[in-house]
Amino acid sequence: MATTFKTFSNNDIVSTRTLLHEAIPITGSIISGTYGKWPNEDNIKNYSHGMFQSVYDYPYLSSSSNHLFDITCGYSGQSVLSSSTNVQNSKKINLYNQMAQVLMGHSTSGTIKEFEIPGSKSPPTGDGDGTFTHNKMRECYFFNFSRLLVKDEIKKGSFSMTFMTGAAVEAPQNTHDGGTTAKRVFSDAGAQNNYFTNSPAGEYAILTASSAAPETAGGVNYTQDRVGGARTNYAGVGLVFYQAGVAVISSSLFWEHPEQRHHDYLTLAAANKIMIASYPPKSTFTFRDMFTGSVISGTTDGLRNRIADISFNNTTELNSTIYFCRAHHNEFNYSSNPTYLDGSKIRVKDSSLDQPVSYITTVGLYSADNELLAIAKLSEPLKKAPDNELTIRVRLDY
Amino acid sequence: MGFLDNSGDIILDAVLTDTGRMRMAKGDNSFKIVKYAFGDDEINYELYNKSHASGSAYYDLEILQTPVLEAITNNTSVLKHKLMSIPRTNLLYLPVMVPNEISGDDTKRNLGTNQGYDKWVVAVDSDTRNIPTGDPSPTNPGIIVQDNPGGVINGIDSVPVGAAIRIDQGLNTNEIAPTFSLSRDLVETQYIVEIDNRLGSIVSAGSTNGLVMQGTAGSSAAVSFIDDDNIASYFFSLNTDPQFVTNISTKTGLNESPVKGPRGTALQFKIRSSIELQTSTFLFEKLGRTNSRDGVTWTNTNGDLAYNYIDSIVRITGATTGYRLDIPLRFAKLA
Repeated sequence: MATTFKTFSNNDIVSTRTLLHEAIPITGSIISGTYGKWPNEDNIKNYSHGMFQSVYDYPYLSSSSNHLFDITCGYSGQSVLSSSTNVQNSKKINLYNQMAQVLMGHSTSGTIKEFEIPGSKSPPTGDGDGTFTHNKMRECYFFNFSRLLVKDEIKKGSFSMTFMTGAAVEAPQNTHDGGTTAKRVFSDAGAQNNYFTNSPAGEYAILTASSAAPETAGGVNYTQDRVGGARTNYAGVGLVFYQAGVAVISSSLFWEHPEQRHHDYLTLAAANKIMIASYPPKSTFTFRDMFTGSVISGTTDGLRNRIADISFNNTTELNSTIYFCRAHHNEFNYSSNPTYLDGSKIRVKDSSLDQPVSYITTVGLYSADNELLAIAKLSEPLKKAPDNELTIRVRLDY
Repeated sequence: MGFLDNSGDIILDAVLTDTGRMRMAKGDNSFKIVKYAFGDDEINYELYNKSHASGSAYYDLEILQTPVLEAITNNTSVLKHKLMSIPRTNLLYLPVMVPNEISGDDTKRNLGTNQGYDKWVVAVDSDTRNIPTGDPSPTNPGIIVQDNPGGVINGIDSVPVGAAIRIDQGLNTNEIAPTFSLSRDLVETQYIVEIDNRLGSIVSAGSTNGLVMQGTAGSSAAVSFIDDDNIASYFFSLNTDPQFVTNISTKTGLNESPVKGPRGTALQFKIRSSIELQTSTFLFEKLGRTNSRDGVTWTNTNGDLAYNYIDSIVRITGATTGYRLDIPLRFAKLA
């Protein structure tokens, strides 16, 4: 009996799972300065609702542009900054609560949990520069990365953000060294072996200051904290949520924060502080001024200007099914191609003693009803004759 | 649809077809790959040069250099020609399928000077069928009589008038007499017929021109499935569908089949136009031409008659041998 289909056996089909990673470097020059003069770049999209700001890799009016991430900020209603006289006070609280309920969830009583650095000494008792009664991150910047970049998730241990330092906040504008002497790197180094799973949005880890050389520039070790009046080895400055693709940066990172505790700013030279840029430039503009007196887009503009680099690896989970399509020596040696025949005579044979030969260019995968469900093409024809056998491995990724 | 890079290692470019994605999206387990086939759509075997001066190693040189196109996702556009498995290697002839237009007037295509030159024409409504007599009685079908033998299919009802489509299968060679039997492993026992479901459906043709089929004309065939492009597939088997498929191995006369050598089976059917074509001109406006007078010979006392038409095909594939034939159709409607 002539046949054109061959049924797969159990030994011909195998399923596999593969994790693919891509490096995603986002340079600070894309985030501010390249497509216009800060803070009015063409690749930054602001909305009339003023709730967040979108960063593109090209002027966003172009169809060639890709969405990179959104930035917004907010504070808890429990924050010492919260005041009804603040600019966009309710929007900032609403945004904080929205992000908190998605990423941190609710308490058993139904209230929204505040962002918190897990594992901190609890409760801190104060460091002499202010009194702490909690480990909360009550004033935050949020970086919501596009799924285009994150794919399935951020690879643990690959995330880092680099901020420029410097007191001359009026200077940088469309440059990115800002005249600073050092940059500060914060990352989730080691998170592949040390992360948390108690978030409703998936896995997350703490962003900490790197202990690499630049972070000690200016005589300050950013890997240490001032909790309890003495430096400890803990210096969490934010959280990165891997599946959600969100980085939450504690604004206590920046000068001058009312609950400054992550860095020894009191002894820092101005050139080594991470400051929020203001527009128009003000040399004495502090984080407190920005968060209370500026709209959200202005606050995020100030941060964009200070970002030197963001980088991470994304992860795509590829679930594959591999089909081994086997052509044994006595199979698929003839063709139904109309050019195969001259009349009814096989064109590639002169006599019945000649071997039939055919050429494979395509593999079709079918349902039981003969519906063509998938198609695979070879880059060049493969000769099939009774004196050879072929196994073609077709992988379908889902 | 570019060419695949064939400058280095052999690569395999695999994609789901649109039907595959549709089945997957349904989530009803209808996406289940159970079998495979190989194809050679790009290969032109006429390039196989058995008289190459450099010897047999060079016979297929040009074939092996054939660039291969990227995979496309339309399930009906790819793998048109499949490779066959036949354990024997000593075959010199393979069966083909040929439209039978010689056994009688009722199976000829329209080769006249009228509206469907070189096609089978489906009259989609009674007004069209009754030209030029205007007789509402279906027993007096105007254009079918006028054009006879004109390849006009009665696409309206079960009245056994008008043309049918008949496909004969066998070895189309003078080297072997038709009195010989076709090897059993080369006899086509199952046919797959595909037609645009928006335009028409398959019905039985009854017995015509010496082809004795069971049942009467106009019996609707059961659709096996309709894909995402509205292509309906029908399966007809020699064993289970005697109103559509019959054995013609005993029909050895020269005027009984266009197949010159041993004969296998024949498939015969008609087309029933869809309700939409019968009652509306929407699809004619979208897929065809309206108010056409191309090659008009349909006339009545008022002169030439304009008509709407859609050109399409009905595709016939042998499930055993994989041989495939596209039959040209024209769905015509009096404007």
